[in-house]
Amino acid sequence: MTPGGRTRAALVLLLGVLAWDSGAAAEPVLPAAKTVAASDYSPQGADTCLSCHDDAAVTGIFRTKHARPNDPRGPFGHGGLQCESCHGPGGAHAMGETSAIIDFGAKAGASTQKQNAQCLGCHQSNAAHDWASSAHAANDVACASCHRLHAAKDPVLTAATQIEVCSTCHQAQHSDLDKPSHHPLREGKMACTSCHSPHGSTAPAQLIKNTVNETCTSCHAEYRGPFLWEHQPVAEDCTNCHQPHGSAQPAMLKLRVPFLCQSCHEGAGHPSTANTPRGLAGAMPSPYLLAGGCVNCHSQVHGSNHPSGRALMR
Amino acid sequence: MKSILWGRHASSTIGLLAAFVVSVASADVPSAEKPATNGAAGVDPQDWKCALCPFLQGYAGEAELGAQYASGANASYGRYTGIDHSGTYADAGVSGQWRGSDGSYANYNLEDLGLASRDGVVDAGREGRYDLRASYDGQPSRLYDTAVTPYRANGENLGLPPDWVAAGSTAGMSTLAQSLAARDIGYDRRSMSLLGRYFPSASWTLFGEFRRQEKSGTDLTGASFLTQAVQLIQPVDYVTNSIETGVAWAGRRASFRLSYTGSWFEDNNSTLTFDNPYLPVVPGSSEGRIGVPPSNVLQQLSGSGQLQLPWFATTLSYSASLGRLRQNDAFLPSSTLIGAAVPVPSSLDGNVQLSHYAVRLASRPLPKLSIRGGATYDGRDDATTPLAVDYTVTDTFSGSTVTRSRYNQDRVYLDGGADYALLRWIKIGVGGIFVDKHYGPGQVLTNTQEAQSWGRASITPMAPLTFTLKYGNALRKVSSFNAAALPPAENPLIRAYDYAPRDRLFSAFTGAWTATSTLTWTAEVFLAKDDYRNSPLGLHSVHEQRESTTLTWTPRETLSAYVDAGYQRLFSLQNGNSGWVTAPWSATDTERFWNAGIGGRWVPQQRWTVSLDYLIAPSYGDTDTLAGGQPQAFPQNWTKLNTTRLALGYQWTAALQIHIRYTHESYNSNDWALAGVGPATVPNLLALGIQPYRDNVNLFGLTVRYQFGRDNTPARKSP
Repeated sequence: MTPGGRTRAALVLLLGVLAWDSGAAAEPVLPAAKTVAASDYSPQGADTCLSCHDDAAVTGIFRTKHARPNDPRGPFGHGGLQCESCHGPGGAHAMGETSAIIDFGAKAGASTQKQNAQCLGCHQSNAAHDWASSAHAANDVACASCHRLHAAKDPVLTAATQIEVCSTCHQAQHSDLDKPSHHPLREGKMACTSCHSPHGSTAPAQLIKNTVNETCTSCHAEYRGPFLWEHQPVAEDCTNCHQPHGSAQPAMLKLRVPFLCQSCHEGAGHPSTANTPRGLAGAMPSPYLLAGGCVNCHSQVHGSNHPSGRALMR
Repeated sequence: MKSILWGRHASSTIGLLAAFVVSVASADVPSAEKPATNGAAGVDPQDWKCALCPFLQGYAGEAELGAQYASGANASYGRYTGIDHSGTYADAGVSGQWRGSDGSYANYNLEDLGLASRDGVVDAGREGRYDLRASYDGQPSRLYDTAVTPYRANGENLGLPPDWVAAGSTAGMSTLAQSLAARDIGYDRRSMSLLGRYFPSASWTLFGEFRRQEKSGTDLTGASFLTQAVQLIQPVDYVTNSIETGVAWAGRRASFRLSYTGSWFEDNNSTLTFDNPYLPVVPGSSEGRIGVPPSNVLQQLSGSGQLQLPWFATTLSYSASLGRLRQNDAFLPSSTLIGAAVPVPSSLDGNVQLSHYAVRLASRPLPKLSIRGGATYDGRDDATTPLAVDYTVTDTFSGSTVTRSRYNQDRVYLDGGADYALLRWIKIGVGGIFVDKHYGPGQVLTNTQEAQSWGRASITPMAPLTFTLKYGNALRKVSSFNAAALPPAENPLIRAYDYAPRDRLFSAFTGAWTATSTLTWTAEVFLAKDDYRNSPLGLHSVHEQRESTTLTWTPRETLSAYVDAGYQRLFSLQNGNSGWVTAPWSATDTERFWNAGIGGRWVPQQRWTVSLDYLIAPSYGDTDTLAGGQPQAFPQNWTKLNTTRLALGYQWTAALQIHIRYTHESYNSNDWALAGVGPATVPNLLALGIQPYRDNVNLFGLTVRYQFGRDNTPARKSP
């Protein structure tokens, strides 16, 4: 296929999608309608709701993006269904039928699917492209299991508090952060979402970039290369050697040097040497074991651009 | 793969697909559980006043000012906090919100202003029209404060004192002790970003973001002259500038996002030279020179999106990305020896093409059945012109001519799964993953294939108790092993573990029990066993076991408490063979890690808030070797972390709060690679003398938080 052909094909496809969705696109991006009677809704919208639910646990939403009166995309924008955008028609609820509304959270009466459908009605097209095929969707995780929509500051959207939300389920990863070598999540300088996309992605482990290496080198760009002399496992996948959630070994390594290196290298001479406690300080101190071990000499393990860096020593 | 995507029939195929997509527009079938909102018959929300809605108008803010005093702080505690020495630190932060009646707004939040870990975000805009966001994040990384070195830094050169006495071993360096000076090792990472978004309509978004990351300070490195090594403190000065710009469109049943990303990494150093502290093995080998990370550029075009198809609540999502990674830094001379020249060509002109295509499908054909699956292709094609280089061994003597290796790889990843709600109390699921990797010419393998399958059952015997059991296995097969592609002198029996055939078994248990409305218990158990059965040398097996549990108690809004605990055991066995003819050796490594925490939050009165957290997290590492038939155990490596945090808040007036914080952390560790290793401990390694981490920190903080600006439209009851 010629480049021009590709461009034409892509244009046709793009126009097709736009045409298909054109009826909806002119309207605010709110959930699709299902025909209901006017009487199903509350008489005055949010004013009806707030006449009872005026405590801070509810009104915190008015400090959030969901309650912006001038944003036509939001539920409180002009013509929006306000509280009933998410909670569904509240007419019966306002008349005293307490269960006649969609509630959210772990103790909600509404099913996870029903709760999530409310959120995805707006957000599937933007924040949650890949939600349907995500691990969270497969495990029936409700949006409200992680998000607190009525809180002025949703804890999961703040780096310092996000880990507490994620570790409600991901306990092992939370434990890893207490290991001696870890990324600064415990210190609030990174968040799980610095690397992972909880709403799904087409990358492994729901990473934010296409591959493990693209994700890691978005911060550690010095290891991106390409180098004159590359180290194959580095070019392939950083997790061949590193445990990104934390490790008891220095530099988040999977295994202690020199044994990590000897998992792959057994060259004649020192790489194949049996490193025993005889090589420790006080006996016959060995540079293969002590201080940096192998990287005392092979310091350029991520790759070298030095003409004489073939053995990653320069 | 490209031929599949862009074959000669692709044009007509895509055209047909577009026609098909357009045709389904007429089948406007709402998905199974679409919520009811806009367009409801007879409802006119434009009549809704929202008179009681407490939208923020005007300005509200908060400022916090105080101080922290730390005793016993060092690089160990300050690694990411920036509190790296005993003394007083300012503790300040401000935040605020402003809303105009026309939808204009501004928010800001600046924290930890007195520390190197300070960060802040400012965003402003007009609701539904545009927004701007600027952020700054400081991330200190204190590595070591126990290093000593005889080297003095001067730009890109590390020099020895004029009276330095070179010797054949560290024991003979007679002026070493008097030359040593303490040096801290660490760097600061500073990230800045500026994001702008414009919303021309409810469906379209135009966006652009500039990001800059600076990393400056020092890091640890090393080098050698043949068999004599030296640890060095390397200056680091990196800058990465990135931009991402594009357009996004969101409709009811489809959306897409197109973007361009460019990232320019610059290393402001071009090399690091250092004096040879040893007697030169050959005349003129009195200086060494190592390379530093070369500047590089990554550019990518990406597209992604999703379509909600009108059958069985089906969603199709997709992404594609084409990128190019370039690097063309000038080569250094091949050595520091007299007459050493820069190779020809004088730079790599590195060119790696990256491609990514993915499509995923999720559907719910039956109310009780959900299925999902996807296919992903990732390609790394090193298109750099082949290059042969004459190299010099460690600035000492000439080696042979070596041709650069190119590590190309194509990876196809297929996965799928299905879950079926068999009965009200039991749901079963199955799934699998197939990964096919193809390696480029000249590598030890041509391809690996790994197939993983698993099954699981989620059981809810009674409503508050749910547990899930999962069991699976994975089998990795590899192509015939090309030992000729191994580096010279490498034992042909070695199998690198990412290239080796592998059998994996794994099982997992998760449980959750909401005993009462206030008490919740969760638990997780994971077991995995990897066997590299066909690896004569190298990693042979890895076993992992981990358990974790959490109990939370929240009797009321003003009181909550938790207890959590975890345990992990990692075991590995590897085999080696010194010199190929002597008896083989083996090594086992057993890592055990515990963590336990307890804490809670209590609001005893309206004015008071108390929170307390305690964490203990020890780890132990045992390495045993068997060489020459003689078992030998390394000293145990261990770490012990204890942290106690107490925070007390008092609401003095409606606008004024006082916060008192106390943190105690003790961290102790043993590491046989570092403990007792001084600069001259190893005859052929001039080390930095770095010792295992230890700290015992008490941190006191007192701050006053003042709120200003009030809501001018508070919620109120209807009359």
